[in-house]
Amino acid sequence: MKRTISRLIQEKVLFLGQRKYTQAPVTLRQLHFCSALVYRQHGHPHDTVRIEEMALPALGKHSVRLKMLAAPVNPADINMLQGTYPILPMFPAVGGNEGVGEVVEVGSEVTALRPGDWAVPWDAGFGTWRTEAICEAGDLLRVPRNIPLLGAATIGVNPCTAYRMLHDFISLRPGMTVIQNGANSAVGQAVIQIAASLGVKTVNIIRDRPNRHKLENELKLMGADFVITEEELEGLTLDNIIQELPKPVLGLNCVGGRSGGLVLASLCDGGTLVTYGGMAKKTLQVPAKALIFKNITLQGFWLTQWKRNNHEADVRGLQAMVSSVCDLMKSGQLRPPECVQVPFHRYCQALQATVQSQRKKHVLLI
Amino acid sequence: MSGARIIWLLLYKGSRRHTVCQGFTRGSTTQHPTQMFRGFVCRYLTGPSASRCTALLYRKHGDPAQVVQSESISLPDVGARSVLVKMLAAPINPSDINMIQGTYAILPDLPAVGGNEGVAQVLDVGSQVKSLEPGDWVIPRDAGLGMWRTAAVLAEGDVISLPRDIPLLSAATLGVNPCTAFRMLTDFEDLKPGDTVIQNAANSAVGQAVIQIAAARGLQTINVIRDRPDVAKLTDSLKAMGASHVIKEETLRQPAMKELFKSFPRPKLALNGVGGKSATELLRHLEVGGSMVTYGGMAKQPVTVPVSALIFKNLKVKGFWVTQWKKNHSQDEGALRTMLDELCSLIRQGKLTAPDCSEVGLQDFHSALDIAMQPFTSVKQIFVM
Repeated sequence: MKRTISRLIQEKVLFLGQRKYTQAPVTLRQLHFCSALVYRQHGHPHDTVRIEEMALPALGKHSVRLKMLAAPVNPADINMLQGTYPILPMFPAVGGNEGVGEVVEVGSEVTALRPGDWAVPWDAGFGTWRTEAICEAGDLLRVPRNIPLLGAATIGVNPCTAYRMLHDFISLRPGMTVIQNGANSAVGQAVIQIAASLGVKTVNIIRDRPNRHKLENELKLMGADFVITEEELEGLTLDNIIQELPKPVLGLNCVGGRSGGLVLASLCDGGTLVTYGGMAKKTLQVPAKALIFKNITLQGFWLTQWKRNNHEADVRGLQAMVSSVCDLMKSGQLRPPECVQVPFHRYCQALQATVQSQRKKHVLLI
Repeated sequence: MSGARIIWLLLYKGSRRHTVCQGFTRGSTTQHPTQMFRGFVCRYLTGPSASRCTALLYRKHGDPAQVVQSESISLPDVGARSVLVKMLAAPINPSDINMIQGTYAILPDLPAVGGNEGVAQVLDVGSQVKSLEPGDWVIPRDAGLGMWRTAAVLAEGDVISLPRDIPLLSAATLGVNPCTAFRMLTDFEDLKPGDTVIQNAANSAVGQAVIQIAAARGLQTINVIRDRPDVAKLTDSLKAMGASHVIKEETLRQPAMKELFKSFPRPKLALNGVGGKSATELLRHLEVGGSMVTYGGMAKQPVTVPVSALIFKNLKVKGFWVTQWKKNHSQDEGALRTMLDELCSLIRQGKLTAPDCSEVGLQDFHSALDIAMQPFTSVKQIFVM
């Protein structure tokens, strides 16, 4: 992984430095300051992240002043702090890649946003763990105010990943089956709910745990059709456990290693395994027979890359996706994951919890 | 087969039309009443037909050295839509061995005749056969026909004709490996002249076909082979075939690769016949958004795929099985014909030659199978009847 990262950075395939961010040179007229979670080197969050006062530049013609309301701590945010993510910011950097803010002031030529609007940054690397930001209006997408705050704060990364994976790889029709591991992650829960809204069945793999049945019920209330543990799937093939559903045509993998192998082995002939995470930090072992005789395809999905590709081509695609996900939130078909809300100044607790892969998502309230 | 079963079959199945499993492919022929059971194209009991053939048969799966026998079996009459063929040449491929061992994805009904490809000459045709005439060369359209024999009666629809102006050994080895190479170079990535393809098992029959077809299309190939005593000689022979670059497995892991990619664009397509570490190394060198296609697993190890390769390099990992392609396109007469025509054209131009072959008689099958199962085999064993 490290070699891949360093080669990708060397080849400038992915480097945040190309994007323009709010760490603009300080002008003579320092009108505002904000508090931000800043780091000046990579390492363990506990050692490197500090709350600091940062100067904000003056508002330009195309700029927006955004008062941040809430921003979650995601695994990718921690990876970026640690320096293990393929896109890394320049220092000093502000942590946090998604969140929701309220527009408080707009530059003279901004038309897409007005004071009072809620907005989310569309690209990674914004640095959302701060009280306020000045950015280009084009860096933001508007979201409606009538969705829950926590929903808006967590809409940009995980529900959008789920949405894309359910739309871009297989033409899913009602009655088809999708199988996934990491089912109780934020993406996993979004997959369950979005799939349910499409009439698509889900088989959801979780790790065994003491309160397994409670979790199973929660996921089923969300719309999960089946919930099984990895341990159960180790012993038997999926056919043996579940006879009622057609064999899954799409598998979603965020774990890798043995767990990814279980998802792969459960797919029907011609099925596709889409990998979007690697929480176990282990490679996928793919039997040649699965590729040759079962015609399984393995692909990956990275929302940040999709957003960048589509933003260049047609930003309306991005806005359309966010709007679709917001619609699901408005109708109640998609709820944000259960979050632990943490006041901004208690950020250490939120960072620590995510480093330790605790189950509930921590969201900074700003 | 017990006497009681034979009598049961005579009494209850004798008068019915059966679809005949030739191996496990389906063909239909007019049935002589004593044509019995599925899975065996030649009638077990003798009937009015006078002709017989010698075939390499196995009645159970296992070690080819133990289970393959040479037997004389009778041939049925040539039905209205069948052809009588004299086998000319049939190679031994790894998948043939796997099928006998019982480890292949499709297995014939037993007893079965070994061998999935080869070229035969038509001797006689049934009254309703339209596409073939005596003298034509034919190869099977699908796996499982059982080609290691001296003669056969085959359904017209189970074979496709080949021109007779190509070398015999090319014809005998055209249907599986060159077709695999052709499809992998065509169906997965849009390759333009100057693009690079990287492959392991480069000196296998598929590998050599890839080198030659790629060269004919103006593609560059980076060819990975295992180290061995005569590696320099092998390198030269692959380069003479059109290989742009030949490297050893060990070199894939070295910084020298960076130098290589200053003179070649990074490959968009990787072809894997080995698996294990070799496949992982191919993935490492693929360009962002490229594909790796797996067609074999000679190392008998899974393909190790780092998650970052999928997520951040957007690589696709797929497989290819020519038998499945043939089945999927069995109703599309043009697809197979177009590919074979193109390959034959390359053969005539001298741009596609058969791999080094060692010709053996059917009677020497024991040693031929034995040699075919050795590691580092660089010469294909081929039965010439």
